[in-house]
Amino acid sequence: MATAPTSLDTLSARQVAAGVAAGDFTATEVARAALDAIERRDPEVRAFLQVSADLALEAAAATDARRAAGEALGPLAGVPVAFKDNMNLVGTRTTCASRMLEGYESPYTATCVQRMLDAGATPVGKTNMDEFAFGSSTESSAFHPTANPWDASRVPGGSSGGSAAAVAAGEATIALGSDTGGSIRQPASLCGVVGLKPTYGAVSRYGVVAFGSSLDQVGPFGRRVEDVALAMNALVAGGRDPWDSTSQAVAPDFLAHLDDPVEGRRVGVVPALMEAAGLSDEVRDAVAAAGRALVDQGAELVEVDLPNIASAIAAYYVIAPCEAFSNLARFDGVRYGYQEPGRATLAEQTSLSRAHGFGEEAKRRQMLGAYLLSSGVYDTYYYPAQQVRTLITADYARAYEQCDVILMPAAPRTAFRFGELSDPTQMYASDMFTISNNIAGNGGVSVPLGLGATSGLPVSAQLQGPAFADARLLTFARAIERALSPDGEGAPVAPALAGKGGELA
Amino acid sequence: MPLTKEDVAGIADYARIALTPEELDEMTAYMNDAIDLLEPIRQYDLEGVEPTFHPIGDLSNVMAGDVPDTSVRALPLDAALRNAGSSRDRCFRVPSILGDQGGDR
Repeated sequence: MATAPTSLDTLSARQVAAGVAAGDFTATEVARAALDAIERRDPEVRAFLQVSADLALEAAAATDARRAAGEALGPLAGVPVAFKDNMNLVGTRTTCASRMLEGYESPYTATCVQRMLDAGATPVGKTNMDEFAFGSSTESSAFHPTANPWDASRVPGGSSGGSAAAVAAGEATIALGSDTGGSIRQPASLCGVVGLKPTYGAVSRYGVVAFGSSLDQVGPFGRRVEDVALAMNALVAGGRDPWDSTSQAVAPDFLAHLDDPVEGRRVGVVPALMEAAGLSDEVRDAVAAAGRALVDQGAELVEVDLPNIASAIAAYYVIAPCEAFSNLARFDGVRYGYQEPGRATLAEQTSLSRAHGFGEEAKRRQMLGAYLLSSGVYDTYYYPAQQVRTLITADYARAYEQCDVILMPAAPRTAFRFGELSDPTQMYASDMFTISNNIAGNGGVSVPLGLGATSGLPVSAQLQGPAFADARLLTFARAIERALSPDGEGAPVAPALAGKGGELA
Repeated sequence: MPLTKEDVAGIADYARIALTPEELDEMTAYMNDAIDLLEPIRQYDLEGVEPTFHPIGDLSNVMAGDVPDTSVRALPLDAALRNAGSSRDRCFRVPSILGDQGGDR
């Protein structure tokens, strides 16, 4: 170890786990450093809805006891991890950033959370989000906004904005989020961190509050591609989860091929996407630079076409609200959730509990879903949207006959200001590059590319791949990171927050 | 034809979300904007295209063994009732389902 104090800002997850295993520092020291960083930084960022200091120190003490007893430690031993607040963790509330679930105590622990804990991770808290994951800015949280660590007057993206901001601010080494239409990749892009939406079914959703059941997928954020790979190893290590019927067995090692060369491999580029209306010049330039970095390493760019993804937003805003309406019907104010007091009938109690428990966007999505599923309307929108889904999936299948991965933007532009996108349907366009992948069920990753030439804010590229080729996505993401990140070692903590607390004693 | 306020009030009733008159106005404007966004779906010739309801194509009706899981996933009574707004003994407590008028509204 160096003699200068070591900061969690500069340590990767692997370095933290290795340091704990070697006795360079204890898991308890790491937990205290992370809690110190949160205490010093989060008043500015407000990434967390709840900091679980007691759970963190307990988990860290258990890790230290295991080491003292000579037991083997997990691959994430002592690594500070934050969880989106739609994931149940016993000992914390799970609010989905909604008044509806303001006091909801997690009755059990989600499989994805448990697997991170089983790998030795230290749970530092639950992160802010758009209410029930409806949004792209975290502004629809019922409790408070979250600031972008790179510019406190701007949003972190969403819906997993708190998880992305916590990692970008150095308040956690890894965070988990969920992605239904871009809710991991878009905030990762706006906050300058790596965010992976794995293939649908790769990570268990048991214990994660459902939004769109045919679209939702859990995935990790990190400042380095390697950290995301380590988190994926932990998430899939237990194999298929019998408690989530959509869970699939996945090849377990995301690290083995991380540094494989990309020489001779083919990267698809979709010309229509690179010319899409709303895509800013600096993001387009950054994505082009990522393509050149891959070419410099011997990859070949090939043009591919995805003709039907222009209709992806329309298909999504049929399918997702219908599934949301169905899933959120469970919030009737009886078994859990806000209950309107003093009502004479159940119907009245239900409709007022829902009226006062849900925020505006949650009501909008459910109203839209209720309408689209109603008799007569179903045949006009819902069934055709599922047919368009077939066409989009077929477009991808054809494209992947010609290339290994597809390179495109993750978000059309850099972080926007609070209140800037006040019209809900305008906000929906934030996910124009991410949504089609949820519709097809494929994996995608947002890779940070430093700061944009015009805005000085984080820009990124997205890599998409065929189903269950998520390890391949990380190989290409790592190749971009090697070429374009400082020292080739990943994204930095946002400079306004770096160095405030977080030092290992 | 755009949705009217009356249409939207009917949907709110079905969705069990009580809306104030101001909310009803805003919701009606939103619903019509959102439906405009969906227009591309109506422009397709989808003759002969099979629907995809789920990204894992061959997965349907996953069944578990017909065995009660009393050891792991069954919540203890106190955990199951802890988050309820109103409970009594072993039960969730609800107001009258039928109300004074006898109907279900």
